[in-house]
Amino acid sequence: MNPDIHLFASDRGRHLFVVGGSQLFDVDQATYDEFDGAWRRDDRTAVARLLEELGIQRPPPPEAASVAQDGIHAISLAVAQTCNLACRYCYADEGTFGGGAQLMSQETAAAAVDLLCDGAPAGARLNLAFLGGEPLTNRGVLRAATERATERAAARGLSITFSVTTNGTLLDSSDAEFFERHGFAITISLDGLRDAHNLLRPFKHGKGSYDAILARVMPLLAAQRRMQVSARVTVTPSNLDLRDTLREFVDRGFHSVGFSPVLSAPSGAGEMGAGDLSRMLAEMIACGREFERQIAAGNRFPFANMVNALRELHRGTHRPYPCGAAAGYFGVSADGTMSACHRFVGNDLGRMGSLSNGIDAGRRTLWLTERHVDRQLPCQSCWARYLCGGGCHHEVLTRGRVACDYIRGWLQYCLDAYVRLLEQCPDYFDTSASR
Amino acid sequence: MNKTPLDDRDEKPVRRISATNLSAQLRYRAQGNPPSAAPESAPANCYPGLVADFRAVWRRILVGIVLHEATNFVVKAYGELAPLKGHRLLSVDGVPLVVQVKGPLRGAIDDASQPLTDGEVGDDLVVLEWANALAAIMPKAGTPVTCLFTKEKSDDLTLPELTEDQTITKQLKVRNFFERSDANAPIRPVIARRLAQPGELTQGLCSPWQSDFRECACYYWAASRPDYVNVEPDVRIGSRGHNWLARDRSAPPEYVLDPRGGEDERLLTEVELLNAWERVLRFVIAGNDSE
Repeated sequence: MNPDIHLFASDRGRHLFVVGGSQLFDVDQATYDEFDGAWRRDDRTAVARLLEELGIQRPPPPEAASVAQDGIHAISLAVAQTCNLACRYCYADEGTFGGGAQLMSQETAAAAVDLLCDGAPAGARLNLAFLGGEPLTNRGVLRAATERATERAAARGLSITFSVTTNGTLLDSSDAEFFERHGFAITISLDGLRDAHNLLRPFKHGKGSYDAILARVMPLLAAQRRMQVSARVTVTPSNLDLRDTLREFVDRGFHSVGFSPVLSAPSGAGEMGAGDLSRMLAEMIACGREFERQIAAGNRFPFANMVNALRELHRGTHRPYPCGAAAGYFGVSADGTMSACHRFVGNDLGRMGSLSNGIDAGRRTLWLTERHVDRQLPCQSCWARYLCGGGCHHEVLTRGRVACDYIRGWLQYCLDAYVRLLEQCPDYFDTSASR
Repeated sequence: MNKTPLDDRDEKPVRRISATNLSAQLRYRAQGNPPSAAPESAPANCYPGLVADFRAVWRRILVGIVLHEATNFVVKAYGELAPLKGHRLLSVDGVPLVVQVKGPLRGAIDDASQPLTDGEVGDDLVVLEWANALAAIMPKAGTPVTCLFTKEKSDDLTLPELTEDQTITKQLKVRNFFERSDANAPIRPVIARRLAQPGELTQGLCSPWQSDFRECACYYWAASRPDYVNVEPDVRIGSRGHNWLARDRSAPPEYVLDPRGGEDERLLTEVELLNAWERVLRFVIAGNDSE
């Protein structure tokens, strides 16, 4: 594997992906062969010379020191560190993060909102997310924090969006009205169709939750105007039938449907092995093929993984981190402790200070320096490192990098699909790049 | 046979690449292109008018006629509209294209609505810029709108308030301003191909081989056309070289100052540049245009 370029062929021709700057070129056979020869000899000097001769620049991704200068633009509140479901693979250990059940107080939520809104520069675009546990078990604080953030952002002329990830079991009609009024992005955790979901996401007393959730979610789907209701499917070896799941949820009217494998669970339950990831990749590609057919036919088909990957490939996003954790984004636990993200609640690995004492700048800089993908192994030698960013910090720190082949396989399929769609449906990218 | 640098270049393999995604398109600078070919360093960042004349995209907004980019003169007309060539388009869909400019005149500040004129007939009339005057018809693409023309060919501006027997009324279809892959597809953020023929967005720009290069001398902006050529070091005065307009640029370098406003027989005239730039000028390679 050459860390500077990635070559691939399709029935559209030969293609050169330049890792620095995530730049994609169509190349003729002779040029392809020259790069291929240098690649096979593992001759990075020759690759660099060829790129220079072609006038291709390779900008490096942002450095940790510059990222550490950025302000906060997103915060998530673990408003309820408790949950009424008993999913065994939950990264939050059934909502409590391994501790006792806790609800965030209104004062703590207000302090977090003030940190987000008061420190933001003029014109900033902010996001406030509500997570848990199940955030709707602390509905009052969720709403109060939303109202406060709306007022403070408006007073300073800032733009703010809201999101919530919920298991859907507690949604009621007043939530629909509230979420619609504030234009929430709502993510419903639905881990497969009825049987698979019921097996994986039972209530604490053991009964499956699928029908209860759908009964509460369907009115929300029908009420979508400003708000967007999406389905997130956490994939385990027990719910690998992604095609039917995708089709069903798209047909039900979800704004988007996305899949994410369980790579690390406190109990070890549900974690995907190499064989499972291989099966999942085949399913994801089958979903992608369906996406390609639908787009070619002029239909909207909100397969989130594909939509996002194509948008990022088209833009040429190159990221030194997998997400904004400890960069522009922080998680706040119920007791006001700040973490690199929502997954590190109660976990010293990602501790980043507290609302009362502020962000720990030293730990933040150390995190950004150590977690930079150019410092990661085996990422340094991987062509996909600036597309992937090194993988979810929480999963990598707790289980290691077990999904690299899956990620590269998915990205390779997306590159192939990008080349196809760019030729077949250029209109798609005109609008997707700006979304 | 002695090899020139060009011969060496010919021996290199010809590589063909095409930037596919946006980051590649934005960063790629083709071999031989100057830094100003990149979006971040293009003159258009400071002087958009040096790259394209956006007014020209409105010239073909109405099917059947071609307008001047800056005035309501019908430059071309086709089919049954052909007789309208040379006429003036006075209004479109009820919106006047020519207006009278009014304001306070010196010595008459109490009346803020005097026609602003120096006394010449019609010098108080202006044609509205197309991007303003015609924006309202954009949503009517594909449908006809009422267009009012002068009855006669006219070199002069007139207001639309003419009697019926002084005007011609036609229904002209509005073209799509933005491109669509097909009639049912959503618009793309690309100006419609049919609004401009190749070259039309730039034909109104300065003419680099002709007057503007002369007017914008002294290394002003024409990096691709140096105005001081065949330069040699000179220990006494620093350097010696030719004015790019010198008729004989193979003679020993001696700079002939452009008299500006006058003529010097040792320099090419603007008329010569206009008529025969491709014969009297050469490409400047490595600062040298005498070979």
